[in-house]
Amino acid sequence: MMTPYDWNESVRNRMEFVEERLRSGSPVIGVRYAGGLLLVTLRGTQSKTFEIYDRIAMSAIGAPSDVEAIRIAALDFAHQEGFARSPDDVTVNRLVSFALSPALKKAFGDAWSAPLVFRGVFAEAGAAPEHDRFATLNFDGNFAYASNVAVAAGTIQAEEAMRDVLGALSPDVSLRDALRASLEAWALGRKLALSGIDPNSEEEDISPNPAVSAWEELADDRKHLAVEAAVLERKISGEIGCRFLRDSEITPSLPHS
Amino acid sequence: MGAAGPASVSEIHGTTVIAVKYDGGVLNVGDRRATGGTAVMYDRAEKILTLDDHTLLAVSGSYATALNIVRYLQHSFKYYRRTQLQEMSLDGKLQEIGRMIANNLPNAMSGIGAFLPVLSVWDTTSKEGRIYFYDGMGARFEQAEHGAAGSGSAPIRGVFEYVTRTKGPFHKMSLDSALRECLEMLDIAADLDSATGGFDKILPSAIAVGPDGIVKIDDKQLAASIRDLRGKR
Repeated sequence: MMTPYDWNESVRNRMEFVEERLRSGSPVIGVRYAGGLLLVTLRGTQSKTFEIYDRIAMSAIGAPSDVEAIRIAALDFAHQEGFARSPDDVTVNRLVSFALSPALKKAFGDAWSAPLVFRGVFAEAGAAPEHDRFATLNFDGNFAYASNVAVAAGTIQAEEAMRDVLGALSPDVSLRDALRASLEAWALGRKLALSGIDPNSEEEDISPNPAVSAWEELADDRKHLAVEAAVLERKISGEIGCRFLRDSEITPSLPHS
Repeated sequence: MGAAGPASVSEIHGTTVIAVKYDGGVLNVGDRRATGGTAVMYDRAEKILTLDDHTLLAVSGSYATALNIVRYLQHSFKYYRRTQLQEMSLDGKLQEIGRMIANNLPNAMSGIGAFLPVLSVWDTTSKEGRIYFYDGMGARFEQAEHGAAGSGSAPIRGVFEYVTRTKGPFHKMSLDSALRECLEMLDIAADLDSATGGFDKILPSAIAVGPDGIVKIDDKQLAASIRDLRGKR
């Protein structure tokens, strides 16, 4: 029989198990820009950013097989709802809070199966910019919504530092500037998560622009990674489409250029 | 477009949709009339429907059936692309459309839901426009230059041949020339077939598919082509 102590310990053990594996994940960033929403990360051989539905995309860190399972669950829910009712009824709110979060919570609480290693950002481009929405979803089912910026990284401290870098961005920033700021935030989040540094610690050496210096410090790390950036862009016709940026669009925004 | 009650397949195709190749892809032109028996029920029906960025379906027959099948196919193609992270092959799309038409055979035989499309695609592998039509059991046939469906297509069948012999193949025409020929044929079809709307009251639909995807011919260009046609009479 499982005692309350066992249950608490089980949850703690599972949380440590997942957090340890998420720590080395390449952070993902979602920001608003003048033409829509931007999702940015650096990836190895496998894609980390995916189109989910007509106006919805996601990017995540975690075990590839777990990210894939959640991606397919999101796709199934979105397409079944969109076909049964209307594409207008598929929203990131319903997707995250109604379809995915309870399932993740249930999976995390099941002591007899391996927990899902997942932390992701979902982005929805609204009909008008004021209806744009981000959601972050955690492996334990916790979720949060944001209007302008959302991040998923290896540690809470890394996420806070990334949000600080991106918080200064205006929603009508150009795509190029939004991408550059996102890459700088990625570098800072990556560095902090890998090193375990707490940016609030007074003992740490804070450079004038920690995000830019982090990008340079991670040069070796970046050799094995490629920038992946996708936009949910509003077209003049009013349609919204998901598009991956080409290298020619990414290169001018690299922090060192 | 459709008629209530049992009827032969040929009787319930009240419309005219045309597909011709041009030097940049495939152009579709269709009238906007929807009929119920002998009554004109609606004059703004969209009969050229987009399945994805490189696929157009020009529909004839039961409009309700057509819309349901198109909606299913749109979702199916998107779902495949998003889950598999690659486009469905052209052959895969053609098979799926054929399967939907075959599945609709009981409706077609009962006279309430026949649906026969003309499919226009930009083949991203061979870099060319292609046109297909289907029979009621789902078999598909590729057309070399042009295709048409609906009750107005039979009266203009010979016009395609006449245009090809006198003005050259459609696939060498510019988009403007192909559009003018299609509008002329649509006008003839409207003269000879009561279920086909012309362009005196409502502009027809004209949509092209090419290497850059789907391009809707805007009303201004359509109106200019129609003025040009009338000016020559």
